[in-house]
Amino acid sequence: MSVGQPPLQLPPKPAVKALNCPKCGASITLRALGQAVAVVCTSCHSILDAKDPHLQIIQTFERITSTDAPLIPLGTRGKIRGTDYDVIGFQRRSIKVEGIRYAWHEYVLFNPYKGFRYLTEYQGHWNDVAICKEQPIVDTRFRISLEANYLGEEYKHFQTADATTDFVLGEFPWEVRVGEQATLTDYVHPPRVLSREKTSAEITWSIGEYLPGKDIWSTFHLAGDPPEAIGIYENQPCPVSANIKTLWMTFVGFAVVLCVLMIAFEVHAKREPVFHTSYQMNPGMPAGEASFVTEPFELTGRTSSVEISTSAAVQNNWIYLNYALINQDTGEAWDFGREVSFYSGYDSDGSWSEGAQSDSVVVPSVPAGHYYLRIEPEVDRNHPRIVYTVEVKRDVPVLGFYGIGFLALLIPPILLTWRSLSFERARWAESDHPPSAILKTESD
Amino acid sequence: MFRRLYLLYGVLVLGSVTFAEYRGWSLDSMNQLKNVPKSVRDNPGSYRSVYSSYHHYTGGK
Amino acid sequence: MTRPVSNCPNCGAKVMFQWSSSVQTVCEYCKSILVRTDIDLKKVGQVADLPPDTSPIQLNTEGIFRDRSFVVIGRILYQYDQGGWNEWHLMMNDGKSAWLSDAQEEYTVSSLACGPNLPSAAQLQVGQQFKWNGDLYSLSVITKAHYRGVQGELPFQYWDKSDVTFADFRTPSRKFATLDYSDADPVLYLGEFVEFEDLKLKNLRQFEGWS
Repeated sequence: MSVGQPPLQLPPKPAVKALNCPKCGASITLRALGQAVAVVCTSCHSILDAKDPHLQIIQTFERITSTDAPLIPLGTRGKIRGTDYDVIGFQRRSIKVEGIRYAWHEYVLFNPYKGFRYLTEYQGHWNDVAICKEQPIVDTRFRISLEANYLGEEYKHFQTADATTDFVLGEFPWEVRVGEQATLTDYVHPPRVLSREKTSAEITWSIGEYLPGKDIWSTFHLAGDPPEAIGIYENQPCPVSANIKTLWMTFVGFAVVLCVLMIAFEVHAKREPVFHTSYQMNPGMPAGEASFVTEPFELTGRTSSVEISTSAAVQNNWIYLNYALINQDTGEAWDFGREVSFYSGYDSDGSWSEGAQSDSVVVPSVPAGHYYLRIEPEVDRNHPRIVYTVEVKRDVPVLGFYGIGFLALLIPPILLTWRSLSFERARWAESDHPPSAILKTESD
Repeated sequence: MFRRLYLLYGVLVLGSVTFAEYRGWSLDSMNQLKNVPKSVRDNPGSYRSVYSSYHHYTGGK
Repeated sequence: MTRPVSNCPNCGAKVMFQWSSSVQTVCEYCKSILVRTDIDLKKVGQVADLPPDTSPIQLNTEGIFRDRSFVVIGRILYQYDQGGWNEWHLMMNDGKSAWLSDAQEEYTVSSLACGPNLPSAAQLQVGQQFKWNGDLYSLSVITKAHYRGVQGELPFQYWDKSDVTFADFRTPSRKFATLDYSDADPVLYLGEFVEFEDLKLKNLRQFEGWS
């Protein structure tokens, strides 16, 4: 029977040497840790021999680790999902897609009670990743399923590629080595991504959630700004899409209100006829002499619209009327010209017509009061006399505003839907299932 | 966030339409003038439409 | 590992290196620059270090699993080529035995179970599926491990130092299973993944720098 006491749980103590000034033994200041390291003693100003073996250790280490320095330095502590984690490991992995190598970074986070989490970073896009405890459900008929179901959510296949480990620093829960390979399959349901990692020994599933770079920078108290996120990442949430459905529902609500408004004004509009007279215009009368004023009429009620309609039985002829609606008491006037013209005939395509035998115009916001019209007609002097009728109606709704209102309400949901669609196209353009090129894009 | 902005926007649009209809606005082009003299009633020919576009005395008939 | 701690050769104060392979630090007290001479520079950038096998659980840790309280009475430390894990022997309040596995702070609680037609070690293949107690289990990883040490009370008396095969199974829910090939016939343990907070553990091991 072998009895074993578990060996000391504490890690081995590191062997440490101090860099002291060779002349006076004082502590040394290291400047500009980079390729060139200047080592100066602040007391006696002597310079440490660059061939000092301990200095060599620092320099070699710097050379190796500065090629791909982690954006979050190892040993930094930050809070993820309410728990503190230390960054203890870092690696760079890459995949090759259509001859181009794409590399990303992974950080190992550790909490002695909660265990391990990971952060991935690709072109400024960050994800908070954990190993799945529950097994996702896939379609086992295919070697690579096109869909996966995890905790009740449906994920769509985004990409499958072979990944290689290129660079490793710090600690990992397994002994990662440069050159290690795995087949990675990503399924997305923005903002989450489900990853399947297959090596010869095992299959591991992990679940990630998109994190904006600024959240990482604030929780790890990093200096400066996070790297700018380039392009759209596989599980990056669309800033708009969650709202699209509710936006369209709101639009429908508004459209209904608009209809109700229209009906209400249609029903309540007085359309009160206040003037109706016919006149005759003889050709040959010079302009100015033909001008006349009408009998006054009264416009009642609130300040509202006034519709002035002109009708004339013109046939291949025209009549132009300079109108002025004048307030008898205040001298306020509205001045406008209207044309009534109608042409028709036959040609090779059949009968045609242009214009109309009537015209109407709406004068806006006319206050109540006594009014008359000053009319100055003009006709083609070569045509016979024209009889025309002038009609004035008080309080007439203008349907055009409902059209404008409808279009105005339509613009935001259309704009946001278009933005959301182009966002999704950009997302899937990077996947194994790019959308077909229906429209030519700027990049073509 | 977008929904709240759109709600505000929609209320403004509907409010504007209501106001326009209530106040009797029009989409037709029009010139509005003040102080048309009472003498026009007696002499309609003296009123020129061109008065609406420039406001200086052109003289004569 | 993780944050290596040593003593300053000049003044004796405790010094901490920021991370496992960190090659230099500055002594807080005498400001000497300290260099680590035990790092294999050839491994830097090429191979990762393994974190220390520290389980926050210790003997006499108490907790609750599925409304039953338990106390930790024993421990087995396993080691394999990629590291190690702990199997903590639990005494449930009804007198029954259970196992709390701590593998890199991923916790499962399992109990001995009966299962028909258990495969032999040679038949095992990642991805295979088995039905036990009405649930479908998929083989996720096969590990060859050996005992590294024991502590406290355990339900057996003898073991040897040779490698033993373990097969871990997962499901779409949190259910979890292990096949233990320590003996000639495989032994089935059925259990589930548990979150650290849900175990409501008391009397845990304290770590420096962590509350």
